[in-house]
Amino acid sequence: MMAKKQQEDFSLEQMEQESEEVLRPRFLTKDNAVFQRTGGGFLSLETEGESYSRILAARMFPFQEKEKYLSIRTTDEHSKEIGIIKDMADFDEETGQMLREQLDLRYFTPVITKILSIRDEFGHSYWEVMTDHGPCRFTVRMGGNSIVHLSDVRILVMDIDENRFEIPDLEKLTARERKKLDLFI
Amino acid sequence: MKEKERQRKNRDIPEALKAKLRDSGVREEILCRTEVDMDTAGEYADGYLLLTKDRLIVALLPPDNRRTRSFRGFGEQEPADGAWVLRMFDAGQVESVWVEDCIGCNLIVGRVGGMEMPLAGCSNFRKRRVVDFVRAMESWTKDGTVKPMTEPEEEYCPKCGRMYPDPRRKVCPHCENKTSIFLRILKYFKPYWPLALVMMLCIVATGALNLVWPYLNGAVLYDRILAKDPAFLRQIGLGEGKFALALLLLVLTMFLTKLTLLLAQVLQGVCSSRMVVQVVRDMKKDIFSMMGKLSIGFYRSRQTGGLMTRVLSDADRVSGFFVDQAPYVLVHLFTITFTVIVMWSLNWQMTVMTVVLLPLLVAVSLILQPRVWVMFGKRHRAERSLNSCVSDNLTGARVVKAFGQESRESKRFAAYSDRLERGEVSISYWQNYFQLFYGGAQELATCAVWALGVYFIFGGGNMDLGLLITFAGYVSQLQGPMRFLANISHRMADSLNSAQRMFEIMDAVPEVQEAEKPVHLDRIRGELRLEHVTFGYEVNRAVLKNVSLTIPAGQMIGLVGRSGAGKSTLVNLISRLYDPQEGRILLDGVDIRDLAFSDLRRSVALVSQETYIFSGTVMQNIAYSNPGASLWEIVEAAKLAGAHEFIMRMPDGYDTMIGASGKGLSGGEKQRLSIARAILADPKILILDEATASVDTETERMIQKSLQYLVKGRTTISIAHRLSTLRDADYLYVIDHGVIAEQGTHEHLKEQQGIFYKLLELQTRALAMRGVD
Repeated sequence: MMAKKQQEDFSLEQMEQESEEVLRPRFLTKDNAVFQRTGGGFLSLETEGESYSRILAARMFPFQEKEKYLSIRTTDEHSKEIGIIKDMADFDEETGQMLREQLDLRYFTPVITKILSIRDEFGHSYWEVMTDHGPCRFTVRMGGNSIVHLSDVRILVMDIDENRFEIPDLEKLTARERKKLDLFI
Repeated sequence: MKEKERQRKNRDIPEALKAKLRDSGVREEILCRTEVDMDTAGEYADGYLLLTKDRLIVALLPPDNRRTRSFRGFGEQEPADGAWVLRMFDAGQVESVWVEDCIGCNLIVGRVGGMEMPLAGCSNFRKRRVVDFVRAMESWTKDGTVKPMTEPEEEYCPKCGRMYPDPRRKVCPHCENKTSIFLRILKYFKPYWPLALVMMLCIVATGALNLVWPYLNGAVLYDRILAKDPAFLRQIGLGEGKFALALLLLVLTMFLTKLTLLLAQVLQGVCSSRMVVQVVRDMKKDIFSMMGKLSIGFYRSRQTGGLMTRVLSDADRVSGFFVDQAPYVLVHLFTITFTVIVMWSLNWQMTVMTVVLLPLLVAVSLILQPRVWVMFGKRHRAERSLNSCVSDNLTGARVVKAFGQESRESKRFAAYSDRLERGEVSISYWQNYFQLFYGGAQELATCAVWALGVYFIFGGGNMDLGLLITFAGYVSQLQGPMRFLANISHRMADSLNSAQRMFEIMDAVPEVQEAEKPVHLDRIRGELRLEHVTFGYEVNRAVLKNVSLTIPAGQMIGLVGRSGAGKSTLVNLISRLYDPQEGRILLDGVDIRDLAFSDLRRSVALVSQETYIFSGTVMQNIAYSNPGASLWEIVEAAKLAGAHEFIMRMPDGYDTMIGASGKGLSGGEKQRLSIARAILADPKILILDEATASVDTETERMIQKSLQYLVKGRTTISIAHRLSTLRDADYLYVIDHGVIAEQGTHEHLKEQQGIFYKLLELQTRALAMRGVD
């Protein structure tokens, strides 16, 4: 009887501890975390006695900070946060490069450098643009939330499959290109 | 047929890849394959995933930034070919392959020999097929067999190559619709044909009288009466020299002409407004009844509010066009033709002059008008964001005040209204600009006619002053129809687009459909069985995974689990708001997909934390599930639900108006009304989805009591976070991340010391702490 009671207490303690862990941020720095490239091309992490064979890096503010405030997470289905990197610059250049690679793998948004044509027909608009990843042609649904204004001059375009394209600065486009965008902004 | 063949050939793997595979010793047949369009370094690259019985092959071309990437909407692509790079994995080594959703792309990851590695990437455009491929090869990793992949849906119109807006409906907006849409809209007008006929007559009369008018006030007035032409008097049968009488007759005729014109216009206006109202009403009725039939999935993928208003205003626009614009096309064409003929017979040189100059007007309209339309669109969007800012503020007034953000909200509002102001200004700027050019061109035409006319009069040719005035009248009369025709194409496109959107909804195929020959069950016992049910709202994200469970008739089971675990999804499937992607759900041994909707809906009732109270009386709200119930039955149900007392405290008792237009009810009161509704429905299967989550402990106890009456003799599925709610359940299922993690009776689960035990401990502890306070 006594033993059982103790066991209960113990697991309750453990639960309390778990929830505290979720609530308290843990920072990863070059002093407590070692990232390494795996044979498969992902990253592994050793930190404070814990070891993860593969981690996932996610940006907390993907539209504002590309290399600050990263959430390092487990890759299983119920992905949990392992720790937070406040600034990638805190790590050495090699680790930074490895993290950058992982981020590039997960975040993919070609930047539109030139608008060749936008044709609007039957509720869809058909875009032909030049991006930093080469020429692209995609279709945008009209009248929905396909065009997201990230700021006054920066917009994110989602095509009908939710592929993303970004225009970082409307003012850098020519007047003629902006006119093509007139329907959307 | 030929097109199909071409497509199939297109889907064949390119020659160089075939050669490369041969050279690398791949002799086996390719069992299935899919295209990918990204490599593992975050670059666009063409490639394939190929599966043979012995190996998985990843074939990629080096990234090529010059190749144009065409995503959905731009037709089938010519496959790329070149220097292929192959990575091969032997069947024994590949443990599993899956697709990871990234942001704006997807990563195909394999676990090979204990090591996770990226195999390739793909854009969201290719995702569906890739997920299909991965699913097809699931069994391959175990026993080398491959499930057949589903045939891709035909996405493009075979005639013009445009994308179908809805691949399941397969209607090309370009090819089939224009005439059929036109005819379909006309069908709505058919019942009102007498009105339409009167309208047409009025329009034709207007056109004809407009033709007469300039002749009367020009040629007849000046050249016959003022010029004292004796031949004219003879012609109309008046005595010699009676010009005053002729003038009187002329004035009378002119007056009658104008009067008839006015009457015709009034009559036409009355007819058209009556017709528009009725046609719009019919259209909206159709849309609304269709919206009821659509499955929940349709609403999930669209914004319901916007959808509704858009569709309703579309109906206005469609019928507006057909009444205010379409009939005039004929009339204006008619007017133009006859005016020109009449003008030609009066003076051909001046007619040529006019006809040459008028296209200038049309050109000005064609060039400038579209800009104004774009401006209108801009203003509309500005208006919309202003409206949503206001409605945000009104609904969030409490929060805004609590955080003291009034001034910031004002600033936000000011920014939006500035945008609207700019929109308005640019519209009026463009409109004036347009007016300037258009007016200029118009004046030019008129001046030219006058100049030429006066020149003819000086020259003593066959031109009189009156004729010139008549002529000028015709010229100005031509301008209206010309301008109208210049704009009609835009207006027509606009209205047909509206019609298309409307029909898109009317024709949408509900995802959940009743079987063609539904099975009717007279007496439902209420035994439910789920067999290997898999379901997800999105591709590659299953919410329920291979769930099997049986609920004997009349038992009460409890579903426990974290929020987002899939509990509500499970009951959504049972009430057939969605259909499972794999597996089936049986009610008394019959697949619910074969069951008649009416039988299913009658036997399943849902009490959820989302209560639906519509405006009406308390009685109507309770009787919603069973409109034929007697007054006493309603009172009985309310009594059982513990609602009777608070209903009787309201001044008008069961006849009190509640809902949007009436008295507000508290959360617990609404909850009890919906329980009364469920009691009255007398269902065989009762679903309680967090029925008591939003009420205080005391009310909960009351509701619990009434629920005990309700669950008697019914198959009950109860979802609850508060485990105390599930005390009476015969059997419990713990759902975690879409699978049944634990199951058993209360005691059994407690002993297992798993998730359930953990939750229970947490809750008792929380209660204990409250006790200490």
